This record gives sequence, structure tokens and C-alpha cells, in this order.
Amino acid sequence: MRKVAIVGIGHTIFGNLSKFDLVDIMSFASANALDDADIRKDRKIIEQVFVANMGGGILNHQTGIASSLVSRIDLEPAMAELVENGPASGASAIKVGFAAIASGMVDVVMITGGELMRTVTGWQGTDFVATLLHPEAEYNYELTLPAFGGMFARMYMERYGLKEEELAMVAVKDHENGAKNPYAHVQIPCTMEGIYGSENAHIVNNLIADPLRLYGMCPVSDGAASLILCAVDSPKMKYFKKKEPIMISGIGSATDTHCVHHRKDPLELKAVRLGAEKAYAMAGLTPKDISFAELHDPFIILELAISEEVGFWGRGKSKEAIAKGVTRIDGKLPINTSGGLKAKGHPVGATGVSQVFELTKQLRGEAEKGRQVKSPKHGLAVNFGGFGNNVVTIICSKE
Amino acid sequence: MIDFSEYSPKKPEVYAYKCPECGTLDYPAPMICKNCSARRDPSGEIFSAWEKVLLGGRCKLLGWTRVYALPEGYDEKYLVFGIVEFKNGLRASGRLLMDNPRTGMELETKIGIVREKVGEDVYGFMFDLPKK
Repeated sequence: MRKVAIVGIGHTIFGNLSKFDLVDIMSFASANALDDADIRKDRKIIEQVFVANMGGGILNHQTGIASSLVSRIDLEPAMAELVENGPASGASAIKVGFAAIASGMVDVVMITGGELMRTVTGWQGTDFVATLLHPEAEYNYELTLPAFGGMFARMYMERYGLKEEELAMVAVKDHENGAKNPYAHVQIPCTMEGIYGSENAHIVNNLIADPLRLYGMCPVSDGAASLILCAVDSPKMKYFKKKEPIMISGIGSATDTHCVHHRKDPLELKAVRLGAEKAYAMAGLTPKDISFAELHDPFIILELAISEEVGFWGRGKSKEAIAKGVTRIDGKLPINTSGGLKAKGHPVGATGVSQVFELTKQLRGEAEKGRQVKSPKHGLAVNFGGFGNNVVTIICSKE
Repeated sequence: MIDFSEYSPKKPEVYAYKCPECGTLDYPAPMICKNCSARRDPSGEIFSAWEKVLLGGRCKLLGWTRVYALPEGYDEKYLVFGIVEFKNGLRASGRLLMDNPRTGMELETKIGIVREKVGEDVYGFMFDLPKK
């Protein structure tokens, strides 16, 4: 299999971009990636574009998004397709782009993920994401992703004795990182006193899906991110001299039951575990080799459960890692250095691409002051589709 | 003669589906039996139809949440949802009718309107405290 390098990265700020058009924000991130790779004038070396988006058809009444994007950044006649895998569309698009290069079909691809969700009301946005649930057995009941996040959190807390205070500590840590990330939706730090235990904490941090509170949930965000990948053995690598190439050393994904109630143990995130095992095997690495990670946390409880499923520590052991500060930016294994979905935001189609943007930035040593991981070698990202029914793990490494 | 039967009130029920080959029950209906790989045909014309088995009765609460962010049109402060396990081992998600559930408690199944669509009420599981 051919080696694949990330040679360009681009991002928009995440937040409320509803005054822009979906393809505009995606093409802005794509143009940023062209500039980062220093190939704006030589952009026609890109042979294929994979676009990640979940809701263009539903939220923006827009289809044919991949073709539109290619035209907006003058990339014709590059091939172009849309990849949709719910909130894991981004990482799935990277996986498909990686496979296109690794197979020998093409040498240079662009991956762009984007979502424009704030053009509708908060409830309409939540309802749109809920359309990925089983129509008869879940969606019909007004069940939503936050509802499953709440049920998961309660089951986890009851089984492993995790306390609300410990969940709040994770939120504080993520906001601390997000406050230093210029692309984050929420660039405001929060304090423990503000969201837990004080007189007004229950007002600031109100219940959304009991036991999860506002600071246990990601915001609804617009935004886009983009990557350019190239085959390491391709003569086209000569175009990419400006930035250090970062390797995609492992990719794995797996599916689990559509209905959450079909899982023998609803706390077991099988697709996370299996996807990570495949990624580790491809990279020839183990969890101990990982320097930092971006883990999909639309609900803060998932940062903990995913960190356990990918093998960083045993099930139910996250609270020990929180207490020791292991996952903080200066800890042994920093998690969600970007602020995670919690603070950076979660434009669903963009998220997986944004996670790998962050891995690349950290591995190049380009993260902003106060959130650069010390000498990282390998970063791992988990992009979680559905309520864990289609999950992609990507490992990036310094050469 | 115009047939108005489709407009008459239907008895609200939720069904599990029984594989005709091996008897395995599943909910919601699969297209292939997870035990013996027999096929289900929703039309019943190509492969044999699967028997519908009424799903309900007593069940055990496995996990629950109160959701405060509700769809437009709800007057309630919150809705309570849960995942339950029936006596036959099948599980389902649904609405809970009590304010203070407890994981592991025994519940009784009811069928009620769980979503109102234009021109159509959607019936589904509602779980309540068992009658004494």
C-alpha cells in the first residue's frame, strides 16, 4: 500500500456563519488548504475532491455540493464526490481519499468537510441530526442524540461511580484549550465555580438531558475544514516543499447496531474499539505510542468512554486520568487540544476533517501558544457517527 | 361503495417479528434473521411473512434521561425517555410516564401517542409504574 501524506490544511472559524453560503465556507477552507500547501497557482494537480457533508440537502436545500465546490475554487476537471456518514462524514471522506491514493488510482486529493447548521432553529438542527436514528423505533419517539447522550451518561455514572464534578472538570479543561484556539466556536474559558457547586451554577449550567448539562454538550456550529493529501512516492511531492508532510499512518472504521437498544451492553462502544484496533494495526502502533488525541465529544461523557475504548486506560478508569490531570495540555496524554467538539464546535460534516487538521497542526508544531503539545510523534482522532454505529479512527504521525 | 375502513381508528399496538424458520424474535423488524439468516419479505409475496408478536407487558428499566430541550409545540418542562428490557429478552426505547425513574425498576408497558404528525398520530411505547 502506498504511503499517504497530509501536505496542506485549511479551516474556517467555527461558529455562526449563517450569513454565508454552504459552498462558500467550504471553498474558503479549501482555498486556505491550497495556500497552506502553496499550490494555489498549481491547484490543478489535484485529481480528486471528496466532500464531507451531512445536511446540505435538508438544512440548506442544496445538492450536488461536491461539483459546486470544485467549480467555486476552479478545480475542474478534477473528479468530485460527496461522502455522507452522519457526524463521521469528515473522517469517512479522509478514509476514502486515503484509499484512492493508496490504491494507486490518483496521486493528489483534496478532502473538504463543511456544514451550515445555524440557518435553522436550535430544535430543527437537533431534529435534523436525529434523522440518523432508527425511524420507527427511535426517531418516532422524539428521541434525539442528546437523549441518548443523557442515557449513556447516567448508565456510565451509575456503573463506574463517575461524579458530576468530574464531568465538569473535563468541560473546564476543554474550554481552556478552546479559548486558545482561534478557530473555536467558544473561545471563552469557564471555571469550576461557574459551572459546578456554586449558588448559580445550576442556572449557568442548566440541565439539557439529565444528567448532562449545558457544559456537557457541544454547541450547534457552522464551519468547514480542508486537507490536501499526496502519495509519498509521487513525483508531485515536489510541489509540497513549504510545510513538513505529516503521514496518515493508520485508518480503521467499524459499524455497530443502528438501534442502541440492540447492544448487549449499551456502554460498550464496539465500533470505536474495532476501528481503533484496525488503525493501530495499520500503523504498527499501540495506545502507549499515542502522544495526544482528538476524541469526538458532542456529549462530554463520550470523551471519557472513547478514551477507554481506544485503549488509553481501562473501562471506568477515566476519572483517575481526570484527577491526575493526564488529559490536560501539559499532561501525559493531552485530549482535545483543540477544545474538542465541546468548545471548538461541531459542524457535523466538518468535524472529522477538523480533527485531522488539529493533529497535523500539532505534529508540525504550529499550534498556538499555550496549547502546543510537547514534541508529539503520533496523534489519534476518533470521529463518531450516529450514536456510535459508524466510527472512524485516524492516526497521524511525524515521518 | 367507498371503503372507509382505512379511516377507522386502529388499535394502537407495537409488534416484534418472529422468524418462521427458527422462531427468533426481533424488534424492530429486520430483513435477515440474525440467528438463522432467513429472509423477511414485507410484502409476504416472495418469502414467507413473519408472524407479528405483540410486544408489551412488564419490563425492566435499563437506563433513562429527562430531556429539557424539547420540540416546538410541547408544553411540558421535560420529557422522560428510557431503554427497557422485556421478559422475553427483547429491548426497546420509549417514553417514561413517571417523573422520578430508577434504573432497574419494574415498569408496565402502555401504548400511546408519541409523536403528532400532520394528519397522523404516531403510537409507540410508554412505560409506567405497574398497577398494584
